[in-house]
Amino acid sequence: MSKNATACLCLMISIFFISGCWDSSEVNDIAIELAWGIDDAPNQKIRISAQAIVPSKISGGQSDVSSQASKGKPYFVLASDGMNTLDAVQRMQTKLSREMFRGHRRVIVIGESMARRGVKEIFDTYSRDPNLKLRTDIFIVKGDTAQNFLKVSYPLENIPGIGVLGEYDQIGTASREMGLLNFLLAASSDSACPALPVVAIGMDPDVPDEQQGQAQSQADREGFRIVGTAIFNKELKMVGYIDMEKARAMRWVSGNLRKMTVSETLPQGKGNVSMDVIKTKSKINSAYQGGRLKILVTLTGQGAIRENNTNLDLTKTNNISYLEKALNRHAEEVALKTITDVQKEYGTDVFGFSDAIRRKDLALWKSMEDDWKEEFQRSEVTVKANMTVRRIGVTGPSLQLNPNEIKK
Amino acid sequence: MRIKRRSQSIRDKRANPIDTTHLPSEPHAELSTELSVNEKALREAFQGCSDIVFRPFHTNPKLLLIYTDGLVDTKTLEQVVLKPLLYDGHSAGSASNGIPISGEIIQEQLIAVSQIQTVSTINNVIDGILKANIGLLIDGEHRAIVAELKGFERRAVEEPEAEVSVRGPRDGFTETLRINTSLIRRRIRSPKLKMESITLGRVSRTDIAIVYIEGIVSRTVLDEVRKRIGRIQMDGVLESGFIEEFIEDAPWSPFPQIQNTERPDVVCASLLEGKVAIMIDNTPFVLIAPMTFWTGLQAVEDYYERSIYTTFVRFVRYSLFNIALMLPSLYVALSTFHQQLIPTNLLISIANSREGVPFPTFVEALLMEFMFEGLREAGLRMPRAVGSAVSIVGALVIGQSAVQAGIVSAPVVIVVAMTGIASFAIPRYNFGTAYRLLRFPMLILAGMFGLYGIVSGVFLMIIHLNGMRSFGVPYMSPMVSPVPHTIKDIFLRAPRWMMTMRPAFNAGSNAKRIPEGQRPSPKREEEEGQ
Repeated sequence: MSKNATACLCLMISIFFISGCWDSSEVNDIAIELAWGIDDAPNQKIRISAQAIVPSKISGGQSDVSSQASKGKPYFVLASDGMNTLDAVQRMQTKLSREMFRGHRRVIVIGESMARRGVKEIFDTYSRDPNLKLRTDIFIVKGDTAQNFLKVSYPLENIPGIGVLGEYDQIGTASREMGLLNFLLAASSDSACPALPVVAIGMDPDVPDEQQGQAQSQADREGFRIVGTAIFNKELKMVGYIDMEKARAMRWVSGNLRKMTVSETLPQGKGNVSMDVIKTKSKINSAYQGGRLKILVTLTGQGAIRENNTNLDLTKTNNISYLEKALNRHAEEVALKTITDVQKEYGTDVFGFSDAIRRKDLALWKSMEDDWKEEFQRSEVTVKANMTVRRIGVTGPSLQLNPNEIKK
Repeated sequence: MRIKRRSQSIRDKRANPIDTTHLPSEPHAELSTELSVNEKALREAFQGCSDIVFRPFHTNPKLLLIYTDGLVDTKTLEQVVLKPLLYDGHSAGSASNGIPISGEIIQEQLIAVSQIQTVSTINNVIDGILKANIGLLIDGEHRAIVAELKGFERRAVEEPEAEVSVRGPRDGFTETLRINTSLIRRRIRSPKLKMESITLGRVSRTDIAIVYIEGIVSRTVLDEVRKRIGRIQMDGVLESGFIEEFIEDAPWSPFPQIQNTERPDVVCASLLEGKVAIMIDNTPFVLIAPMTFWTGLQAVEDYYERSIYTTFVRFVRYSLFNIALMLPSLYVALSTFHQQLIPTNLLISIANSREGVPFPTFVEALLMEFMFEGLREAGLRMPRAVGSAVSIVGALVIGQSAVQAGIVSAPVVIVVAMTGIASFAIPRYNFGTAYRLLRFPMLILAGMFGLYGIVSGVFLMIIHLNGMRSFGVPYMSPMVSPVPHTIKDIFLRAPRWMMTMRPAFNAGSNAKRIPEGQRPSPKREEEEGQ
């Protein structure tokens, strides 16, 4: 009996050892890749580029040996063509001494030409592969390839891929937004169309977006900026851009904005004001009247006046309400222009109107589900902004003004 | 065949374990009236014992004083025994009146000692002498007088070293059972406090006291303790650990099932909870049974400090004890199996520091844990003068040089250091050792299976803990069937006026500790005043 038990125990213990550590991999046996580029390649192929970190060149390491070695970029970009993503990855692996580790990818960038070609055929792996996270943000590179974008260094971050994420966060995106997940949700919906942020290489605002990348020499291109939003259609092909101001308005309408600054020139006060708006919300109401869809968008927010270049004394309530009115009118105009532009030019619903209508009025939605695109293009949109000023800062009128200049 | 025969012979030896060489040939022999016969027998028994003093008095009748040198207070002996016997007794008894002094006279008049008894067998005399008594044999009497005159060297009551507290009594147990029992008795002045005495150890004849409070103690636990101690057959009991190993429930478990303490206040608190203490002579460590998992995580001071602070400290402690068990294995599992779960920036830092390290993370962690345990052990056993050398070498070699030379990575050193700190935060030393021990199997599981291994390891541990009992009390109690009032002292430490009941599994019929409604408030005072 005891002999049997011992034998059993030995066998059971040996199971532990023969199975081994088959799926373990040391941190220094993997190539951690943080940003990923998809580009168009000839013959209907795609070019995959990856920005992998070079751990030994990351600064802030422990020993002086590594700081000597940290000359040079802490990342490198490698690219491969392939029939699809995995095919390209396999080809890429021939250039890598370590296994490509994609579990920490934060950023996917898509070159403009690839985006215009459409990404419907290549996007399966990003939701199928268990090693990939859905918490990835996608960007479109304006006027350039993703591969070039990944080569650009960024002054603030070691890894430029992290830099673009930070910029994206700073434009006031709602923190819950995750590019890949939202993209997939919008793509799988019947009516909504995806919209993705657009980045452009270079940081100089004087040069037009398209030429900025080329203006600098290829070697010392540095930095990138978010320039707007790319609009996709239902075939997941990019159809066009809207600029940053409209992109903010679009996010506000679709409820994805966390904060923004609204500025407006006031004719009455001979100057301009700026207000930081927080708690931005939107409400979408719809009705079917006179043979066409009517959509009422109500934008709300609370703000603090941070800059007042007018002669208004903001401690007076009539001045505040005048100011509120002007700012609201400005917000309404921008939002309405954004919506009508998209309606007329692209006819894709990137604002989430369809989902709002379906949630509110299922019968109405059912009646126009089939020709939603036309209904959307024909619809009459009204925007109502309802921001309130909550704080005016620590002074009423500007301190540099003469008391008799101040308008009470 | 040969092997079999040998084991047979070993078994034969075992079958006859009683070793009677230290006892006289006739152990229960009655004392003879002839002093010379008795003396002969005793001298025979104490042959070769140079510390036994035979002091004959050629008075009328003849007397023989026997005692163990060093155990008996010779100054008192001279004053209260020898002087009256030789001068007053002799002159008063025989010389002036002519009446020979008898045993009774000596017992009643001459020996001014509080504890005194008459015995009638040689064995009892020997026993008495070895227990620091003096033996007085009188010619013509078939009885001997055994009087207690203890005067051996004993350590003073000092602050316990293994269990330190900022607030609370500073006295600790010593190596003398009588001093220890007095420390208990001073705290619980009740005739209900019982101390049953047992002598254990065939050769060592060690005194043991089973201490409990009648009316509070759980009868089942008490009976079990008595039964288990009664079963022990041992030659010598030198420390409470000798007894602990014989009476614990699961001898192969890494978890201690009997608590030990140096502090009389801990013993008294346990007695008031209905537990049983086992005190052993010659050691300051007192055993307390039954022990539960949670007592291993409670420190003395928990009950002296204010309850809010204690609750906070308990949470810190519980977190640290999880760290002590699992941090190295979590690090190994995450960094070799589940890199996705590490925040990106942290992973990059880890990757940076692991660059050029020749060993796998698992080997690295195992190596460093091993070295840490080595350092701890070396520092513990080293003479004080050399101890500082160990810590310097340890800090330099392990802390800095290994990282600088690129043999181990910095995160592993940090992880091992944090684990070390955490494992020392477990208040009961022997409970902490269980965790230090279990860390290694957890590390191996994590190195082979990742998080899956850790989770299975934790499951196995929980199953083991839940299956264990200490003297009939479930080890995980009261969490095995939590009743609200019993968990007031587990995750929290409720204020004393809220803990009105004794722990359910220990207390017998007398479960109520204090009356309810004692919450202090100014309003109540006013009402009383009116």
